[in-house]
Amino acid sequence: MKRRTALRNIGLVTGGLLLMPSCNFSPDRVPIVLNKLQITTDEEILLESIVDTILPETDTPGGVALKVQNFIWIQIDDCASPEQQASFLSGLRSFNPLVREWYYDDFVSLDAEKRLEILSSLLEAEDTPKPVYDFLNTTKHTSVWGYKNTEYYLTKLMPYQLVPGAFSYRTITINPNEKINTNA
Amino acid sequence: MPSFNIDSTKANSYDAIVIGSGMSGGWAAKEFAEKGLKTLVLERGREVKHIENYPTTNMMPWELKHGNRVPYDLKKENPIAAKCYNFMEDSQHFFTKDKEQPYIQEKPFDWIRGYQTGGKSLLWARQTQRIGDLDFEGPARDGFAVDWPIRYKDLAPWYSYVEKFVGISGEYDGLDTLPDGEFLKSMGLNGTEKYFRDVVAKKYNNQRHVIYGRCAHITENKDIFIQQGRAMCQTRDLCRRGCPFGGYFSSNSSTLPWAQKTGNLTMRHNAVVHSIIYDDTKEKATGVKVIDAHSKETVEYFAPVIFVNASAFNSNMILLNSKSNRFPNGLGNDNGLLGKYVAFHNYRVSVNAQYEGNLEETTVGRRPTSGYIPRFRNVYKQETDFLRGYAAGFGASRRIEQSSEGLGADLKKNLTKPTYGNWNVGSHMMGETIPKEESTLSLDPEKTDQYGIPQLRINLDYDDNDRKMIKDYIEQFTEMFEAAGFKNISINDVTDKAPGLDIHEMGGVRMGHDPKTSLLNKWNQLHACKNVYVTDGACMTSTATQNPSLTYMALTARACDHAIKESKKGNI
Repeated sequence: MKRRTALRNIGLVTGGLLLMPSCNFSPDRVPIVLNKLQITTDEEILLESIVDTILPETDTPGGVALKVQNFIWIQIDDCASPEQQASFLSGLRSFNPLVREWYYDDFVSLDAEKRLEILSSLLEAEDTPKPVYDFLNTTKHTSVWGYKNTEYYLTKLMPYQLVPGAFSYRTITINPNEKINTNA
Repeated sequence: MPSFNIDSTKANSYDAIVIGSGMSGGWAAKEFAEKGLKTLVLERGREVKHIENYPTTNMMPWELKHGNRVPYDLKKENPIAAKCYNFMEDSQHFFTKDKEQPYIQEKPFDWIRGYQTGGKSLLWARQTQRIGDLDFEGPARDGFAVDWPIRYKDLAPWYSYVEKFVGISGEYDGLDTLPDGEFLKSMGLNGTEKYFRDVVAKKYNNQRHVIYGRCAHITENKDIFIQQGRAMCQTRDLCRRGCPFGGYFSSNSSTLPWAQKTGNLTMRHNAVVHSIIYDDTKEKATGVKVIDAHSKETVEYFAPVIFVNASAFNSNMILLNSKSNRFPNGLGNDNGLLGKYVAFHNYRVSVNAQYEGNLEETTVGRRPTSGYIPRFRNVYKQETDFLRGYAAGFGASRRIEQSSEGLGADLKKNLTKPTYGNWNVGSHMMGETIPKEESTLSLDPEKTDQYGIPQLRINLDYDDNDRKMIKDYIEQFTEMFEAAGFKNISINDVTDKAPGLDIHEMGGVRMGHDPKTSLLNKWNQLHACKNVYVTDGACMTSTATQNPSLTYMALTARACDHAIKESKKGNI
């Protein structure tokens, strides 16, 4: 059985089960201010839901709480070329219709486990339409970058020192039991 | 000469005018102001005050809106500036934007400019290697350009003078090819760099040297630095943002505030120099014609001594544009050689690899310098099919591998569990290029910039000597890397990288013995107009391989001393 068919079958069984995702659906939500991209609140919520799936809250804060979704929007809005922007938006806009077609529900309505299965599948399957694949790939890599650039990551997980002090640079013998800090 | 009233002449008169506030202009300002001369520094860019105008200097990485990436529109509007390795979100404000000063590339040339207080001294790579006699004697020995009118002994005391004030971290290596200086403590080579140093020394019988790259960073507390308000380098490695500690040398942190403290300095910003005024009857330069960048008004300033430190190509432009009855082809240009024999450093190629040894060690912290390999080709005699040679940077850093596989909780786990990989090792070539008559700067007869100043035409390219040198560098470094057991050796020759990104453009107003074949004498005075001195990169007779800023600073301090003495004797 193809992975996609298998996942679709799972979708039939569990698709109706709805757990509240961690996104904010409230009508008083303040839209992000962008310079160039014209996007809807639904699209913001969708990207937020994808980020929440890529970097969920665990025993440490998730991507959404750290506002990684805003980092992605700003990157696409300010740093991407018009072609890259068009490609990103086209992928984003064909993503949910694809999810509906294959899994019979809106991505944001699905529970966390199901969303994770869908994203894994779309990033691995050979028959994922290119715009959707490119969009998800960009979103994943930008999420990772944005996450590693958050105050949380750079203070709690891999502490970065703005002012290391004189003669901070030195050669050391590695202690295999010591956790590696990529920003040391 | 345009008409002006006596009062405004008096109000605009100084003892010395310095054009440019960068690396060398800052030194001229310091030397003159310290010796009691009322000094005017003309800076074409905006004011950048030390610390106060370093907007990103204390930002944490997450405070940079774009993660230090340059926004698309900014990149698109600045195809030249954006090519510079140092043009980032946190430093882009210190680069002159392309539209400020258009120029004509007869051949591709990326001209990187930093018009502001301190010029490019805010952005430099801070490598400070002395030039010795093996380089000063190069043109005479190898038959290119003209003989330098000075030797190492002429400049050595001035190197020391400058170094003690600047603060140079270095090691005493005792090499003919790279004279030692006045050094503060070294920040050290790391274990893998030392391993490579030992392999190279052994394989080439101590004829090739991997040393610690001498750099303009304060690594010891000394009174002279405290007096400047500068503290030790805190190894932030964020120099391009401007350093709030003054840990590295810039005009902004060092020479300009020093000059300011004397009460003898006047800084005039947004002052675009149009030309130097030459008085046919007095037979000397009398002042400088300036266009205000905002109002576009013309103002004239007067002084008996004028120092041209506008940056190598801009100094050429100013002289070319300084036309008078006496000098119809540009100030001091009797022989028609002004703007000719320009050259650069060939930074086109690097060789990188991995080292699978020394896996029990790593480094921590951020070091604002790296290893350095002085020139080892054609040092004592001609031994290859190309002239001169190359120095190289060399550095090693332990790879840290971090998987971004998976999604969800798995991905998050991966992002907190990095592992050590091999060492990355890399070198980049810094090749001497040969100044040639056909390598030229000239003014376009028609096109002008927004100030009505003719646009510069740049005609400079790689030649066969450069290509042979690249080939040799690749062969030699491959051999050296193989000898050290480095793996996955990869050669990165960016064949479409135009000259310019080395930001070491030089020449056009070269020094020499003979007024028939050079523009400047051994004191950096124009042969034909002795009260005008050029002491930035424009004065260079040959390029050597060393990072040149230290030499410009030493030449400037020496020339200021000369100008003051000559002035007292009534000779200028």
